[in-house]
Amino acid sequence: MEIIETVKGGYVRNMLREGKRTGGRGMMDFRSISVRAGVMPNAEGSAQADVGDTRVLVGVKMMPEDPMPDTPDQGNMITNAELLQLAYEEYEPGPPSPESVEFARVVDRGIRAANCIDLTSLVLEDKKVWSIFIDLYVLNYGGNLFDAGYLAAMAALMNAKVPNYKDGAADHRQRDKSLKIDNIVTSATFGKIDGSVLLDMDINEERIADTRLTVAADGSVIRAMQKGLRGSLTVQEVRDMIGVSMEKHAQLKSVLETAVKEAK
Amino acid sequence: MGSSLNKPELLKGGKRLDGRGFDELRPLRIEAGVLKNANGSAYLEWGNNKVLAAVYGPREAMPKHVSDPTKGIVKCRYMMAPFSGIDDHGRSGPNRRSTEISKVAREAFENVILLNDYPSGMIEIFMEVLQSDGGTRAAGITAASVALANAGIHMKDMVYSVSAGRIGEHIVLDVNMIEDNYSDADMPMVIAPRNNDILLLQMDGGLDRAQFDQAVKMVLEAGKRIHAEQKRALEAYYGSAEKG
Amino acid sequence: MRSIVLPGEEAQGARHAPCTYYENGRVYSSAIGMLDTERGGVIPLEGPWSPRIGEQVVGTVTDSKNHVYTVDLSYYCRALIIGSRYDRESVEIGDVIEATIKNIEDRSVLILSYPKTLLGGVLVNIKPAKVPRVIGKEDTMLRQIEGLTRTRMVVGRNGVAWIKGKPQDTELAMRAISLIEAKAHQQGLTETVKMMLENESRNRKGE
Repeated sequence: MEIIETVKGGYVRNMLREGKRTGGRGMMDFRSISVRAGVMPNAEGSAQADVGDTRVLVGVKMMPEDPMPDTPDQGNMITNAELLQLAYEEYEPGPPSPESVEFARVVDRGIRAANCIDLTSLVLEDKKVWSIFIDLYVLNYGGNLFDAGYLAAMAALMNAKVPNYKDGAADHRQRDKSLKIDNIVTSATFGKIDGSVLLDMDINEERIADTRLTVAADGSVIRAMQKGLRGSLTVQEVRDMIGVSMEKHAQLKSVLETAVKEAK
Repeated sequence: MGSSLNKPELLKGGKRLDGRGFDELRPLRIEAGVLKNANGSAYLEWGNNKVLAAVYGPREAMPKHVSDPTKGIVKCRYMMAPFSGIDDHGRSGPNRRSTEISKVAREAFENVILLNDYPSGMIEIFMEVLQSDGGTRAAGITAASVALANAGIHMKDMVYSVSAGRIGEHIVLDVNMIEDNYSDADMPMVIAPRNNDILLLQMDGGLDRAQFDQAVKMVLEAGKRIHAEQKRALEAYYGSAEKG
Repeated sequence: MRSIVLPGEEAQGARHAPCTYYENGRVYSSAIGMLDTERGGVIPLEGPWSPRIGEQVVGTVTDSKNHVYTVDLSYYCRALIIGSRYDRESVEIGDVIEATIKNIEDRSVLILSYPKTLLGGVLVNIKPAKVPRVIGKEDTMLRQIEGLTRTRMVVGRNGVAWIKGKPQDTELAMRAISLIEAKAHQQGLTETVKMMLENESRNRKGE
């Protein structure tokens, strides 16, 4: 149920003051998570991640293209996000909003930094390279796009098959090889409301959050971080969040591996 | 229509390439009420097409100058995901094709929505093609019709859409991607089934008058099956609510 | 007998609007609803609120200019309290109020009257088509939820409800509303809601 107006005092705030969240969820608990891979078989790889009421669909396409001038010896990875108007009444048409650009870039950054894909392995003959397009489609906004975005993007890449390449062209109808994935990165996004720190904010919480921090990690190190909103964090708070994100990684990784296995 | 060079055979042993008869629909499945935030929504799979439709509103008409104090206005967006096709990665954002489809779809919906019930209001219809295999406008409009009903928008009828085409001398129903690329005619239609009123009609290729008559007959016949699936989807949604 | 009708389907036995229209002497449904042949009408399953004079609404005062107050009713039409015309000026921007629809002007401007400020509490959305079930016959459902959750509630016909109580009590009331929304067309709904609420109270005491 969407709370449309928090009158003086605020319902969510009052709950948090008592150390409680709606639905009896703990401060460091995710909502229910479900990932399905291979949902759009026209794409080279695809997956939908549902985190609570948030739904993010990712399609991965691969095309032979020219390399970027400054990186002639590696493939391209292009990540884009669409906050579809059908996902939320406040999403508007027009050029990408700052929120959608940030969303796409933060997901892109973690996948790149964790070396999930060896871009140097994507070089083709005749100075062509593979461009990997990762399109994040938000189908329903329910708070915390980042963690759903990481899960959907990662699962779609793990699900991807490379089109056969012959005589300078891709044959998208023949995909014999899986895209090689060298590492798995997942994220945990935290919020801070009146000093309370909580994981995986829902729509009502995110609306009144002072601060947000996304921590993307693989099994051993932090790979990307992004702070959002106007509030501040203490060093100790960030250290704690890093700890939780790394701890949650194993659980999220196994969700991804199961989803990809089930799609086969 | 596609170039005659490298034109593949579209018929084999009296059947179409995917094994369908001339008047056979691809498998069609609709699910109503799939999105939480939208006032109404539907997910549709039709052959390899996968479409998500949603409706918001009525809400305050924006921008202000388009608002009409005597009746509501309709906005419509049809769009294809950049990963929807099997071949190349598509561009995101509207193009000339999607702009035209959004317009003719809007006009079809304006016919059935009781706009007088929503003065100064705006109803927004979104059709997102997540996977495409020919006939996506028909899929989008058929899904959006279910989404409108699911939103409780007042309408005098529930429309459906399907296309008929021609392969050689044969009129065929529900044209798929490869047929659309190489067939001799394609004619998508939107029908309001209560009186079989035609609300959208586009055509290219070539049809003689007898072929046109046959194509329309095929569309109207198929409409019964499409409408039955729309009804089934809605009854399943509300039936489950009823049974709990 | 009751059955689901879709827009454009003949609503045999239905007589009156809303949600129906006449054509060539026949009545058709104009919305998805349950055809109720006993009462001769279509009960909508979904859809926006259709405001009527005399209805009670709940909203937030968002603006004031020259004794005219704008009220957000989570509805697309403008809603105004005209201070000098009907009421003493007793509301301020930011106030949550309940009020009655006094008049509808120019088809889409709602004139509200008798505003009463609601202090504290929280506002939640209810599907407008389900509001009658949340209130119940002669307020029975509403009073039951209030009693069993120890909250105070005001439910506006516009699909906005005000709930005041302790956070866990408020959340329980919200769950009761969600349950009604999901099972609005079941028989024995009052009993179902009662059982859920009593079970929850018992579990809580056990904690």
